[in-house]
Amino acid sequence: MVDAFQRIAETLIEFMGRESVKIDPEHTARYAVDGIAPKAVVFPADIEQVAKAVKFANRERMAIIPWGSGTKVGIGNPPDHLDVVVSTARLNQMTDVDTANLTMTVQAGVRIKDIQTRLVSEENRCYLPMVDPVTEAEALICSDRENTGCFFPLDPMFGDQATIGGVVAGNTSGPRRLLYGLPRDLVLGVRFVAPNGDIIGTGGKTVKNVSGYDVSKLMIGSWGTLGILCEMTLRLLPLPERMETLRLVFSSLSDAEGFIDRLFETKLLPAAVEILNERAFKRLGVADSSATDLSNWLVAVALEGCDEAVDRMRTELQGMAGDFGAGGTTHLPEDAHREFWQKVSNLEISLATQFPGMITLKLNYPISQWKKVISMATGTLNAYEIDHALLAHAGNGICIINLLMGEGIAATKDKRVQAVDALFHSCREMGGNLLVQRAPVVLKPHLPIWGDSGPHWRVMKWIREQLDPNGIMSPGRLLR
Amino acid sequence: MKSKALTAAFEKILGTDYVLSSEMDRALYGYDASLERAKPDVVVLPESVDQVSRIVKLAYEAKVPIVARGSGTNLSGGTIPVKGGIVVHFSRMNRILEIDIPNRTVTVEPGVITLDLQSLLLKRGFVYAPDPASQKVSTLGGNLGENSGGPHCLKYGVTTNHVLGAEVVLFDGSVIWTAGKSQDNPGYDLTGLLVGSEGTLGIVTKIILRIIRAPEAVKTMLAVYETIEDAGNTVSAIIAEGIVPATLEMMDNLVMKAVEESVHVGYPLDAAAVLIIELDGMADGMDRQSEKIMEICKRHNVREVRLAKSDTERAELWAGRKGAFGAVARLRPSYLVCDGTVPRTKLPEVLNKVLEVGKKYKLPIGNVFHAGDGNLHPLILFDERNAEERKRVHKAGTEILEICAAAGGTISGEHGIGIEKLKETALIFSKSDMAFMRHIKKAFDPAGLWNPGKLIPEPETMQ
Repeated sequence: MVDAFQRIAETLIEFMGRESVKIDPEHTARYAVDGIAPKAVVFPADIEQVAKAVKFANRERMAIIPWGSGTKVGIGNPPDHLDVVVSTARLNQMTDVDTANLTMTVQAGVRIKDIQTRLVSEENRCYLPMVDPVTEAEALICSDRENTGCFFPLDPMFGDQATIGGVVAGNTSGPRRLLYGLPRDLVLGVRFVAPNGDIIGTGGKTVKNVSGYDVSKLMIGSWGTLGILCEMTLRLLPLPERMETLRLVFSSLSDAEGFIDRLFETKLLPAAVEILNERAFKRLGVADSSATDLSNWLVAVALEGCDEAVDRMRTELQGMAGDFGAGGTTHLPEDAHREFWQKVSNLEISLATQFPGMITLKLNYPISQWKKVISMATGTLNAYEIDHALLAHAGNGICIINLLMGEGIAATKDKRVQAVDALFHSCREMGGNLLVQRAPVVLKPHLPIWGDSGPHWRVMKWIREQLDPNGIMSPGRLLR
Repeated sequence: MKSKALTAAFEKILGTDYVLSSEMDRALYGYDASLERAKPDVVVLPESVDQVSRIVKLAYEAKVPIVARGSGTNLSGGTIPVKGGIVVHFSRMNRILEIDIPNRTVTVEPGVITLDLQSLLLKRGFVYAPDPASQKVSTLGGNLGENSGGPHCLKYGVTTNHVLGAEVVLFDGSVIWTAGKSQDNPGYDLTGLLVGSEGTLGIVTKIILRIIRAPEAVKTMLAVYETIEDAGNTVSAIIAEGIVPATLEMMDNLVMKAVEESVHVGYPLDAAAVLIIELDGMADGMDRQSEKIMEICKRHNVREVRLAKSDTERAELWAGRKGAFGAVARLRPSYLVCDGTVPRTKLPEVLNKVLEVGKKYKLPIGNVFHAGDGNLHPLILFDERNAEERKRVHKAGTEILEICAAAGGTISGEHGIGIEKLKETALIFSKSDMAFMRHIKKAFDPAGLWNPGKLIPEPETMQ
């Protein structure tokens, strides 16, 4: 077997050079997926190298998993088997930055934070806390910077580390999807390598495009099962004139809910409306002195827009907060606003370092059920005595719950599985579903990783059979 | 086709009133708003998803092509049954089933006329954002099939950004929902794949659409220009200065004259072009934004900027724009409208090239289009009864699409490929791209019966 793989390794080295192919256990162990290490990790430099590798892998029936920053590689069933991890680390060029047309074309390995940094205004205003962009020796090909500055209107989880390829493969997002939408609304075109090694281009630089099938939509959210994303064209927006946040603390859940309900009845257009339980917002380090004893629920409202609109939203919401008995109101100007939402985006990862056995669930449900879902989830987890950090996008019907476990905590394996099961069934009853975003590998076989399959998964199998008949792309991770 | 047996089977399911097979009926359902024509073998008018499912099952077993039809306003031949077969007409499945404000959704049958839904929603203070110019006549099912656009797409996105899920009948007659009222359901975006698939993957029988609260304030402006170039440059400048209006539409002199004769809006008959610029959202800051826009227009030699002072004035401005395609019938009996889309900044250069194409082929070309998203609609005017003119028109159309592709754009922004642009797909898709799309088609349609001859060319016809 070792000799057979040596031949394979030699071929891969032929395609991309010795430095770009790692087969020693020290390297490959770092790219293990759910505890399964690949036989090789490759670092192609461009889409043609990716295509060669995939074509070869297909011929040899080798299982491939793409890898950006690896922030989401734990999502999904453990792979059936794994031969090669294809890293996008060297696909890190921003090939076209056309702010005049509000588009940007970048390779899959470019990190979200580098995208935002690249788009700063002349006054160095950035959507995220400013960092120095990662640049390679080769020059970035781009248009001139515009005065007003732009941003890519997405604040996905793991914002600090995630690559655009992973974000798009997972169609992941964050609180400000309320105003700006999801990757499926923001990606104008994709170039990828299909499972048979063909290089496919779809969409383009134009906002409107109905030529052929909307293959971009198929690839977005396909979780590495239909090909390897190599390049995408993104939709940009001008940077908002003003960006601020209001943080409100409520002693009772019903007060927080009343406030949010009232907000959604107005014509105000906040960028995000989040509700967090105490455990979650304590983690963000925002337990204000003004809200010590009675603080149970935090509502954070992001305001992004022109000066006058943001001023009005802030004033009206502060008034409303008073009507619903908010215990403490904090106003975060631009810099603090950026830091706060960055922390929110990294909440899960920061909890995971402290609670290694953590299970993270993402519940989705019709928007109108949001209050029921929060009380159901809180009630269920309290009944099972499981400590949890909860965050919900109040206007989108999404709730993310981190079940906090660790070494030596009393929760048994059975109790955790039962709790997840209970949440899953309750959520289904409300017309929703559940996804297990993070869990210890040993628990995964007992958990509803992708929630309820539903009848459309039959159609997904038809598509997979046509596009990946040899089943080489992330086999078993999405469809079993 | 085993027509008699199949027709009889359909009559048993639907009743004889709703199965049409006379010569006249077949001719009536063999056209759309494109220049193509072809007769189906039979037309059926179902009233329930169960009926659709049974029809599909029978048709597929009998290996007969199936083509869905809404109002037949399709501009690319998507509704034409080029290989005969069955037209499934949705005029009876036209109910708005549910308006769910707390969940921000509406659920409709595909035969609902788009404007009817929008009018109903507006009374409740809500909006379904996509507003194709055909909205008075076109159906939501048709909008879904083509991924229709409209002026408000610049800010709000196209149909696919507002379809949350669909009930679809698959080739074996089975019925599934691709998604529902909750977002982020894991699995492939089948909804996104269906939208814009031009009826080639299945038949949609119910649609869940996203609705949003009507904006607090709207400001509509008409900016009048002496040159098309100035108008085009204004469009880029507005976006470059950080303003994304709700709409940014352009009309040239030829179209304005036709529209003015038909609708009497007060368009300036001696101007080269006008822009219709609309802002919407919260009222705060809108005055400052519109002043900024006026200042940008002045920098580009605008003659005047008129602000609509009432709902009536606003409605008139839009009636003119939306009636444009119909109005040009005053000038010549037929038109070929191209749907090429280019990056916004390329607009002035591409518009000039389009004018040259008109001169080259001695054909009048009018321009009315979504300048904000670079989606052109050159209207090539001619008389389709003149065979020689028709030939020149098709050559001109192809050349225009080549110009768009060369400018880094695409050949269809919102009207679909249909039959009309099958040849031109080679301008933007490689053989591998096409092969990939054919695999997708195969997954949904092993026997090639869903609206055959559309969207992607057959392999044999490629060079």
